[in-house]
Amino acid sequence: MTRALKWWWGILLAFGLMAAARPIVPLPFLIEVLIFSIYTIGCSFLLGRVGFISFGQPAYLAAGAYGTAFYLYYFGTNPYLGLVVGVLSGLALAALVGPLFVRLRSDYFALVNLALAVIIYYLMQKVLAEYTRGDNGLWFLTNISPTPLLDISNPRGFFLFALAAAIGVWALYKYLDDSIFGACCLAAKANEDKLVFLGYSNYAVRLLAFIIANTTTALAGAMYAVYLGFVSPEITSPARAADPVVVTILGGTGTLYGPLVGALAYTGLKDVISKLIGNWELFIGWLLVFIMLAGEKGIWGTLQPRLERLLARRSGAAAGAGKAVR
Amino acid sequence: MTAGDPILAVDALHVAYGESSALFGVSLEVRAGEIVACVGRNGAGKTTLLRTIAGFLKPVSGSVVSEGRGLAGRAPYEIARMGIKYVPQDKRVFSDLTVRENLELGSHPSGDYDWERVFAYFPKLRQLLDRKAGYLSGGERQMLMIGRAILGSPKLLLVDEPTEGLAPSIVSQLKDVFRELSRRSALLLVEQNLPLVCAIADRIYALREGHVVSELRERGAIRPEALEPYL
Repeated sequence: MTRALKWWWGILLAFGLMAAARPIVPLPFLIEVLIFSIYTIGCSFLLGRVGFISFGQPAYLAAGAYGTAFYLYYFGTNPYLGLVVGVLSGLALAALVGPLFVRLRSDYFALVNLALAVIIYYLMQKVLAEYTRGDNGLWFLTNISPTPLLDISNPRGFFLFALAAAIGVWALYKYLDDSIFGACCLAAKANEDKLVFLGYSNYAVRLLAFIIANTTTALAGAMYAVYLGFVSPEITSPARAADPVVVTILGGTGTLYGPLVGALAYTGLKDVISKLIGNWELFIGWLLVFIMLAGEKGIWGTLQPRLERLLARRSGAAAGAGKAVR
Repeated sequence: MTAGDPILAVDALHVAYGESSALFGVSLEVRAGEIVACVGRNGAGKTTLLRTIAGFLKPVSGSVVSEGRGLAGRAPYEIARMGIKYVPQDKRVFSDLTVRENLELGSHPSGDYDWERVFAYFPKLRQLLDRKAGYLSGGERQMLMIGRAILGSPKLLLVDEPTEGLAPSIVSQLKDVFRELSRRSALLLVEQNLPLVCAIADRIYALREGHVVSELRERGAIRPEALEPYL
C-alpha cells in the first residue's frame, strides 16, 4: 500500500493541484493545459529518452483530431467512440511511417516529421477538401450526444475526463520511465552500439517508443476535437510545428512533469502576455533563449533537483546520498 | 553441430573499410573453456576482428561460424542473443543509468537475474548499485561492463583491451576473474598486456598488419619474450 502510494503520489499531487485550482482558474484554461501537456509528453519522451527531436508532432495531432472529427461528423455521435477512432488513427499513422522514420538520424528524423506535418496540412486543406471542408473545417459540436456516467459533451464533464486521461497518460509514462524499456530508450540515446552488444535491437526500441509517443499525441488531437467540436487544417499548420518542442524545452526535456509545467507556463504566458502585448511569441522566444543560456534544464528540470534535495534533507537522508553522488 | 565443434571458428576472413583492407585471410578458433588471446600493435586489426565477429562489420570474404551456425550477415543483437557478447575497449557505460539499471539491461534479454554471480567476481558492484554509472572510476566501469556481459552465461566473451588504463591492482583482479570466467564461457581477448596474456591464455595469435603471423599453442612457448617482436 505504502509502496503504491509512493509510486502514485507525484502524479496525484500534480493533477490534484490542477483539480483544486478549478474554483479559481477558468475551466477552458485548465482543459487547454491538460490537453497541451498530453500533446507534449510524447515529444518530451522522444527527445529526452530516445534522443529524437520531432517537428512533426502536429501530423499525429491531426491524425487523432481528424479521425475523431470524421467519425463524429459523418458516422456517429458517441464522443467516446470518437476518441477511440482518433487514437487508432494516430496509432495507424505512427505504425505506417515509424518503420521508415526511426531508421533515420535525429536531424533527418526532425525534418522528415516536419515534412509529414506539411503533407497532412495540405492534404486536409486542399486535396481532401471535399471531405474536410478545407479551411472552413468540420463543425460537429451539435452532433456530439450526451454520454452516461461521465458526460464529456459538456465542459465540466470533459474537464474530469481530461484529468483522468492525463493521470492515465502520466502513469503510463512513469511506468515506461521505471521499466527496462525506459532504460533501453535512454541507453539507445546514449550509445546505440552498446545496447546492441547486450542483445537489444535499437530499431525495435525506437519504433516502439515512436509509436507510443505519437499515439499519445493523437489522443491529445482526439481530445481537442471532442472538446472544441471543430477541426480545421490549422491544427497541423507548419507554423505551429515547434510548439511541443518549445513546451518540452520550457518545462524540462526528459523530465516526467516537464510537459505539464511547460504547458502550464506556455499557456499561462500566452494568455497573460497576449492581453498586454500583441506579439506574445516574441516574449516566449526570448524566454527560451534565456532558458537555453541559463543551463538548458527548463523550469521543472531546474526545480526538481532542488525540491528533491529539500525533501531528502527533511527526511534526514540527504547527507549520505549527497556524499555518495559527489 | 557436433560436440567437437568449436565455439568460434574464423576461416580465411577478409575485412575491408571501403577500399582499404584491414584483415587478410585471418583464421582462428576458440573451443569451450579456452582463453584465446590476440596480440599485436595498434592498427594490426585486432579490434576489427572482434567487431566483425560481433556483427558490426561485414566481411568481404571468409566465414565466421559458431557451433555450426554462420554469424556473417547477422545483426549484432542477434549474435549477442546467440551467447556471443562483446565488451568493447572504450569503457563507456550508460552514464545516465545507475549500476542497477545497467545490470538490468544485461539481465533482461536472457532473463538471467542471478546478480550474485556478478557480485562474486566483483563484490564492489554490490555497494555501487544505486550510483549513476557516469560517476564510476575506470576500473569500476570495466567491472560493470564485464559483469553485465556475463549475465545470461554467454558461451563466448569477446573482450577488447580490458586492462587498458587500469591500475595494477585491478589488472591483477581481472586476471583472476578471467580464469574463473573461462570455466563457464570461452574468452577471446584482445590485449597488449603481455604478462597478463601469458599468465592466462591457452593459445595466442599474433597479428601484424591484418595477417596472423604467429600462433602459440604450447604453454611452454607462451612467454612475453616470444611475443615482444609482435608489439
